[in-house]
Amino acid sequence: MLGLLQLIAIVALAPLIHGAMKRLRANLQGRPGPAPVQPYRDLNKLWKKEALLPTGVSAITRAAPGVSIGVALTFALALPIVSQAHVSGVVDVIALAFLLGIDRFVLALAALDTRSAFAGMAASREMAFGSLLEPALLVALLGGAALSGTANLSPLLGLPFGLASALAFAAFFLVMLAETARIPIDNQETHYELTMIHEGLVLEYSGWMLAMLQLAAQIRQLCFFVLASMLLPGGLTLWSHLPWVIAAMVAVTVVETLFAKVRLFEVPQLLGSAFILAATSVGLRILGVLV
Amino acid sequence: MTLRMIGVGATFATAVLAAALAVLGFTHGDVTLWLVQSQTPLLSLEAGVTWLASPFLAIIAMLATAVAFWGISRGRPIDAALVAAFAFSMLLVLIAQSVALFFLTWEVMSLTSVFLVAAHHERRGVRRAAFTYLLIAQSGALCILASLTLLAVHADDASFRSIAEHAFTLPPVLRDVAFALALIGFGSKAGAMPLHFWLPRAHPVAPANASALLSGAMLKVAIYGLFLVAFQLAAPGTTSWGVAVIIVGTVSAVVGVLYALVDHDLKRLLAYHSIENIGIILIGMGVALVARSEGNIVLAGLALTAALFHSINHGLFKALLFLGAGTVADTTGSVDLEKLGGLSSRLVWTAPLFLIGCAAITGLPPFNGFASEWLTFQALVHGISTSARIVNLVILGSLAGLALTGSLAAACFVKVYGIAFLGQARHLDPRPAVRERFDASAFSLVLLACLCTLLGIAPMLAVGPLSAIVGAVLGTAPILPATLPVLPASLVVLPIAGAAFALALGASRKVRSVPTWTCGSPVTASAQYTATAFSKPLRTIFGFILRPERQLRVDGGQSEWFPTRITYHTQSRYLVDEVARRLAASTLRLARHSRAVQSGSLRLYIAYAVVAVVIAVLVAR
Repeated sequence: MLGLLQLIAIVALAPLIHGAMKRLRANLQGRPGPAPVQPYRDLNKLWKKEALLPTGVSAITRAAPGVSIGVALTFALALPIVSQAHVSGVVDVIALAFLLGIDRFVLALAALDTRSAFAGMAASREMAFGSLLEPALLVALLGGAALSGTANLSPLLGLPFGLASALAFAAFFLVMLAETARIPIDNQETHYELTMIHEGLVLEYSGWMLAMLQLAAQIRQLCFFVLASMLLPGGLTLWSHLPWVIAAMVAVTVVETLFAKVRLFEVPQLLGSAFILAATSVGLRILGVLV
Repeated sequence: MTLRMIGVGATFATAVLAAALAVLGFTHGDVTLWLVQSQTPLLSLEAGVTWLASPFLAIIAMLATAVAFWGISRGRPIDAALVAAFAFSMLLVLIAQSVALFFLTWEVMSLTSVFLVAAHHERRGVRRAAFTYLLIAQSGALCILASLTLLAVHADDASFRSIAEHAFTLPPVLRDVAFALALIGFGSKAGAMPLHFWLPRAHPVAPANASALLSGAMLKVAIYGLFLVAFQLAAPGTTSWGVAVIIVGTVSAVVGVLYALVDHDLKRLLAYHSIENIGIILIGMGVALVARSEGNIVLAGLALTAALFHSINHGLFKALLFLGAGTVADTTGSVDLEKLGGLSSRLVWTAPLFLIGCAAITGLPPFNGFASEWLTFQALVHGISTSARIVNLVILGSLAGLALTGSLAAACFVKVYGIAFLGQARHLDPRPAVRERFDASAFSLVLLACLCTLLGIAPMLAVGPLSAIVGAVLGTAPILPATLPVLPASLVVLPIAGAAFALALGASRKVRSVPTWTCGSPVTASAQYTATAFSKPLRTIFGFILRPERQLRVDGGQSEWFPTRITYHTQSRYLVDEVARRLAASTLRLARHSRAVQSGSLRLYIAYAVVAVVIAVLVAR
């Protein structure tokens, strides 16, 4: 029951967080920007519209938006915010990585199904960067495992905050920028097909299907912020970490404002450094030094 | 009675026999079936079933059934007959319980499989592949023979049971040598790096039903041999064995999947994935060895269960994929990804079943690959905090490697399914595009896909019996993660519900079909993304391993800006091939230099003789 409330809260707040980030970024750039509630209006408008799909696509393309939103909802349920009794006690770090893999797999297949070279290009990049992201994501979140021997998410909360935790957070922050399709890795605002990664994957979607995909992306983004907050200092419950979500949101927006998108083939270096930071963090914990 | 029917019947009979023996092994433990004592104790022959062999017998039973069904409607009759002999020979290896019989049946299995690899000996390169395979199989067999003989001599008896009883009194050096020889012998047969190079040459050229058994079952027989030596005949093993196996496994997994990514021949790509999956099995085995030598039997049990479970799972989905590839080759005449496309509208049965195979090998829930990879991860996560610190770091590296492997495999199978089965057909097949009808070969795929799904949703069906077997082998039953039974279902309930919701909504709400957006130019099949292009980013990122080479040729036209034809070709230089080539080149260079002493001049030879005499006199003085 509490789990359901957690789910509803995350789904309801996700577009607001996205809208607030847009507004903040506009203000940082000296523009007035849209109202923070604009994503709700956009979703509502798209939801009412018909969807266009390329001729001859298979059922995978038709089902993909639903899979994406299902993965996002499971992610939201898996966060150990309210209690350990429901899904969050079952889904550990490793299962979470595989879960996000379903989303990536299905969306990339749908992109290749559309016959569009732009979508194929985006699928290729998404899978390439995704394969570098996954080890970094896993290892960054495995800090608790080095002490307790389980891959569950909740032991992360009890870790003392030291150099190892700071490195893990730095690694996770880079992963988060990539997973939420942010500058310097991706650009959500681009209108140039050749530079798109996540936008390119869903290039052929429109109307209510696009609304589902956008909501899924917003939920995922909020879930990543919550995960990031778990790596920062706080108490033994996730509630006491939640203020960090606002900080993560602001930090990502500031990074987006201060930096430019890096060249495509420099992204692997960025993700590689994320992995090295994460591995160093767990390595320090194993060796028991500088934690 | 045609040859095909005899072959199919014999394969079914083998499957039934294997199933019966697996059940016998599981319910009764070690049972001796047949015993011939010899004057020389080392040559006595003994056959029986054991706990350890029963999961592998179960693999043979399931795969032989599937392959037999496939053989009813596809493939050549002679292949169906050879496949039956091959399946039976693998069964014999699994029930051999003495050194002499094991070696004998092992050789029968190797030679039968060489015939299968050489089945299409009239095609280019096939005979060379078969000879490469024969060479590595025979060298490996000699290592295995040496290892088993060492152990038998120590026990002064050739039966596996008494060797295992004497294992704990083995001198450490002998134990290490026996294990190292077994690792080389069985590892090369299983396709572990760096002795893997025969595998991507031999497996793809065999007929599809043979490839399914070669990759799905024979590699597992080699794994069985390795388990036999490591956990019984030369038990209990040391931490350094475990670390070696973990490193070999991780390298095989990562590099195997990288080579698969840049290969666009569907069957060869699947063969590289076999190397990857053997790597995953070896990682589980390595953790089990480390944990056992440190007295952590609970973790050893978990890791060995994971390795056994992944052996079964890899057998199932790899057979599914190879048989599916066989159907593709049969209906389109090609397994080159760049020539295929849009098969899902044509192969209406094979396509969804092949997709299940792709999802399973990628490790996506709720299929079986996920369950066993997740278990392997659990073993690694527990291993991080239990051993000596340096071993913990190795395990951390292996964990990261396994994560990389999983996501690279996902990229590879998005490529396979997206390029070959989705989109639009890429080349004009002269034959009319016939919709696939349901036949025995499609049924074999249904069977395997159902097993992959069943073991994914309800992993305890396999893990329960396997943990009992592991308990019997190691002495203590493993403690399994409590979340395992419900995890796969809880991960996929919402995504499946979402997919159903989207499909239902798509059926009721308006969805309009429009041409794909291509910036206004006409939509053509050749404008679709290709497999070469798809793997380009990863080819560049991992260039230091893959060492890609490319050739770009621009032909003709009035000016260089308007060519009539552009050919782009890329290929990888494999590290092992490179090392072998360097070795051969330096041997030849050495030979050329040493030729200088053989000038052919008589006076020089007399001088040599004089010098030799002088040296001899000086030494003798």
